[in-house]
Amino acid sequence: MNGIIVANTLRTSWKQILYWGLGLGALGLYIDFIAASPDIISGYAELFESFPPALLQAFGASDVALLTRSEGWIVSVFVSEAAIFLSVFAVMAGLNITANDERSGVMDVILSLPISRSAYVVERWIGYALNGLAIVVLCALITVLGMVAMNIDAPLDVIFKSILDLYPSMLLVMTVTCLLGTVLRRRAMAIGFSVAFVIVSYIFNALGAAASGTIADLMEDLSYFSYLNGEAFVLGTYDPADSIIVLVAVLIGFALSLKMFASRDIGI
Amino acid sequence: MASAAVIEMKGLSKEYGSGSSKTVALDNLNLNVNRGEIFGYLGPNGAGKTTTIRMLLDLIRPSAGSATIFGMDIRNDSVEIHRRIGFLPGELSLWDGRTGNQIITYVASIRGDTKGIVKHADELAERLDLDTTKRVRDLSSGNKRKLGLVIAMMHSPELLILDEPTGGLDPLVQQTFHEMMGEYRAKGRTVFLSSHVLSEVQAICDRVGILRDGELKAVESVEKITNVEFNWVDVTFRDAIPEGLPQQLDSMPSITDVSTNGTRVRMRMIGDFDPLLRAISGGYVEMLQVEEPSLEEIFLAFYSGDEEKRQ
Repeated sequence: MNGIIVANTLRTSWKQILYWGLGLGALGLYIDFIAASPDIISGYAELFESFPPALLQAFGASDVALLTRSEGWIVSVFVSEAAIFLSVFAVMAGLNITANDERSGVMDVILSLPISRSAYVVERWIGYALNGLAIVVLCALITVLGMVAMNIDAPLDVIFKSILDLYPSMLLVMTVTCLLGTVLRRRAMAIGFSVAFVIVSYIFNALGAAASGTIADLMEDLSYFSYLNGEAFVLGTYDPADSIIVLVAVLIGFALSLKMFASRDIGI
Repeated sequence: MASAAVIEMKGLSKEYGSGSSKTVALDNLNLNVNRGEIFGYLGPNGAGKTTTIRMLLDLIRPSAGSATIFGMDIRNDSVEIHRRIGFLPGELSLWDGRTGNQIITYVASIRGDTKGIVKHADELAERLDLDTTKRVRDLSSGNKRKLGLVIAMMHSPELLILDEPTGGLDPLVQQTFHEMMGEYRAKGRTVFLSSHVLSEVQAICDRVGILRDGELKAVESVEKITNVEFNWVDVTFRDAIPEGLPQQLDSMPSITDVSTNGTRVRMRMIGDFDPLLRAISGGYVEMLQVEEPSLEEIFLAFYSGDEEKRQ
């Protein structure tokens, strides 16, 4: 393992980083624009007050009062929307680690070179993990710079940390997709199950908030959306354990991906 | 030629599925390929040639048996083995949006000697008349094949494993390829190539293995295989087939399976053409076509006593 495949992955996907970073940054600027207008925020907040908890959670908020503050608005709305978009990116990146190359047949050429299967997966995973990090940082910078440009009175570091907090979840979705690609062998099935994982997580998170104290709590715990800490950063109650749980899940999924890919036939 | 085996396969088998859906792709393959030889791996489509090659490359794993390359286990030592071999897949897929040069540089960097390898790649590309500045998506299938050959050979590997290497190449490039293989052999390197084209194997190989339905049926020198070769000959007369010609041909020891269709006579012929030419001289021959037998026909002839008939 010498980093050549990591470097190549980054070199061939810089446009992807730029487009995704700018796209999510544009979303951040739009939300900044709304946050810069207290009248609009309070109007939305009145509307959200009539929402049931599950629907409110689906919009990324658990506390309506938080939405009346600029930082609360940006964090709740942007993080929940960006999390969905980043999940789409993560599914695409996860497929690129092995499944797409295997389906196209390029994998036969790669694995005939002096590189082990494990080293290849590790380097591809690192390449796309760095790719995702660059996208998250780029969109966080654009969003924060937008706040400065629009004179939004909110702690910039809280917003920046809240957006960076999307990264572990993005890694989780990417790793789950990679794992599904190595287990299922069929790219179409890997896509289907990965998308189902994202949708079910989203639904579990929304329903969990609606029926606290029931089995729905467990459903919420199983959703990676529930480990996003945007509100906690605003309220100052951030618990690193949430991020650690997600990262441990990433490590387990990654280890399983390596094991599965190293032990099976390629291109069958 | 040194006799040390570069490739040794012992009881190599591959099965897919289980129960009633079980398919045997390769059954108990025992085969050695020696250093410095060009070994042709012959068989019809679906015989198990690609399965064998993919197992040697550790892309798929054997259901039973084992194999070594350079004395190293194909699975445990795959990285070291791959450092010393070049591989051309039967169905070559490359990165469509990248140029030949970009791919060559990328592969060379993984091999760890970019400068020397790229220089040799340029020489090979020039010899094969390949434009490496074009993107893969803009290359014809023949040119993609040339790029695959350059990638397989650019690091001057000790062993080349080529799956149907000349598919899609024009005759001139095929000739160049044959010359390159001859040079490889002269340098003491080894080539293991699969093919279903007999003429290609005849042109460059020292020995051939014949595979059918996943079983290795024979390993012979090219000369021995060539001895059982026959041709299908079609003779078309301008006016009519001369009277009594079919019967005359049928009685000739080197000709069998005579059939007629209008002004055309078709036959299966072994050996020299002279007796046939004398026999058909009674009519005006408009066209004479000689068709190489299919591999399956060669295979059947090899095992049905035609060899004795020829001798």
